[in-house]
Amino acid sequence: MTAAAELIGVTQRFGSFTAVDEIGLAIAPGKLTTLLGPSGCGKTTTLRMIAGYSAPTSGTIRIDGIDSTRTPPEKRDLGMVFQSYALFPHMTVADNVGYGLKLRKVPSAERRSRVMETLELVGLAHLADRKPKKLSGGQQQRVALARAIAIRPRLLLLDEPLSNLDARLRVQMRAEIRRIQAETQLTVILVTHDQDEALEMSDEMVIMNEGRIVQQGSPQQVFPRPADRFVAEFLGYENFLTAADGTPLTIRPEHLRVVENGHKQGHGLDAMVVDVAFRGVDLLVSLDVVDPSGATVRLLADVRSGATLTPGSSVTVIAPDDRLVSLPR
Amino acid sequence: MKRPITAALAVIGYVIMIVPIIFVVATAFTAGSTLRFPPDGISLRWFDEALGYEPFIEAAISSLQLAMLATVLALLVGVPATLAVHRGKLPGKGLVEGLFLSPLIVPELVVGLALFQQLMIGMDLGNFSTLLVGHTALMLPYAVRVTGASLALADPGLEEAARGLGASPLRAFFTVTLPVLRPGIFSAGLLSVVTSFNNVPLSLLLQGRDFRTLPVTMLDYVQQSYDPMVAAASTLILAATVVIAVIAERTVGFAKIFGGINQ
Ligand SMILES: Nc1ncnc2c1ncn2[C@@H]1O[C@H](COP(=O)(O)OP(=O)(O)OP(=O)(O)O)[C@@H](O)[C@H]1O
Ligand SMILES: [Mg+2]
Repeated sequence: MTAAAELIGVTQRFGSFTAVDEIGLAIAPGKLTTLLGPSGCGKTTTLRMIAGYSAPTSGTIRIDGIDSTRTPPEKRDLGMVFQSYALFPHMTVADNVGYGLKLRKVPSAERRSRVMETLELVGLAHLADRKPKKLSGGQQQRVALARAIAIRPRLLLLDEPLSNLDARLRVQMRAEIRRIQAETQLTVILVTHDQDEALEMSDEMVIMNEGRIVQQGSPQQVFPRPADRFVAEFLGYENFLTAADGTPLTIRPEHLRVVENGHKQGHGLDAMVVDVAFRGVDLLVSLDVVDPSGATVRLLADVRSGATLTPGSSVTVIAPDDRLVSLPR
Repeated sequence: MKRPITAALAVIGYVIMIVPIIFVVATAFTAGSTLRFPPDGISLRWFDEALGYEPFIEAAISSLQLAMLATVLALLVGVPATLAVHRGKLPGKGLVEGLFLSPLIVPELVVGLALFQQLMIGMDLGNFSTLLVGHTALMLPYAVRVTGASLALADPGLEEAARGLGASPLRAFFTVTLPVLRPGIFSAGLLSVVTSFNNVPLSLLLQGRDFRTLPVTMLDYVQQSYDPMVAAASTLILAATVVIAVIAERTVGFAKIFGGINQ
């Protein structure tokens, strides 16, 4: 199967600074792929190269198998949703959505019906004659989405489409974008720095750091097996310790168990409670733990409320083998 | 009131500006034949006189021609230059902007004298051409400011969005960038027409026998006869200016036109 988009050794330099460093990536057609990474890791730069807004310093970009490295954006047939939405303020919602169709010389009757169809898909048909300024953030976001998909793009590119929305709307729109993607069968690349968003929405996630891809796979593959310490930290693995043979290990706070002394089972680790933070359903416990290599490390355990733990008390911490992830040295 | 001193200063400012205007407007409606306050009775006779006074009408047409031509020229030079400076990666952006804004700082009499020496004496240009050059230079800051401010406020993503949807760079400029800038350019044009129309120092310095602007003609008239016709003419100009200013304010807002260009 031809990849919907393929990046081969793509590098982008700004002066002496390398924003994207020899990236290789194949985007599966009909899937939702997320580019995930911290601020400044090169996500937008990568997306803009795919869209054609900036040419890579070196490397090749193929779209549907065709070398498009130097093709201008207007010849790529891609739909892009900008973080700022970039809606045309002087046009109505319908004219915004119909802009790409007009340029494609779609006759006006058909254009009107396709615009309305697309607006219905995003649930905004009743606002077709409004100007963008008179819409809420969430509605503007949907118009931007409708404008991008109205042209039936070969790829839909979304740059942090949800970051300007409030928390509740953001969660709601995740499902909404997934639904639209399923209905339209579009290939989607979504940029985000929110790991929950990526985990929830992706078929495939691509994690970036400092201009490189550090891990790639489905959420089910990536989440339990972070490839290195950076990915582990980014995905919320807060605890890092060392095995007896020196291998670095990591484990999530919710996978650590804390038991009172004397209940030593298996290979429990000696620990002392440093701090206990009450968080409603659970307690976040900071512990000084003697790890298998003999070093004392500060770990966080997420345990059920109700446990009687007081700072200063000695306890045993159990890190189940099947929850421990070994990382490269 | 949160800031009593600022508020008081604002009130004093308004009073200082508005009282003389009220005086002029009131005397324009007098039925008598002297510029006196309070006016002797009320009539529209001086408006009749002003509108029927040939030299004023001729000068008004000249002034309007000059104002419109200078404005069009200033926009034709200023808008593309600002676009190039903002959008292109030209070096010396600050320098070019400074150059276009300098007429705001250099005293008009100095500009006028320089033009008089260089163009009228040096190059033997007629006084209309020289006035046109002078007024165009004077109007440039409006074009530059308003285009710069509108551009700074416009989302640079707009043009990219248009490109992504299939528009060539030219098409994107004409269907998106220009329409977004249009209200700003329009109101800059209006204000520039008003400013040029009302300009005295430059027009006074560069006047000639064959071409005189309305303010200069009125000034001449006042030196000879001191009657309420000038007040009536001033009132008419004031009314037109207010109407135009209101339109300009409604389309973009003064804050954007007079505000900084480097937000
Ligand atoms: N035009 C440019 N000129 C110079 N440096 C740039 C340019 N565009 C981006 N950069 C730099 O490249 C790096 C990557 O930027 P990019 O916008 O791709 O990050 P990002 O992953 O999208 O981050 P964010 O999550 O904050 O949007 C950053 O350090 C940025 O400062
Ligand atoms: Mg970004």
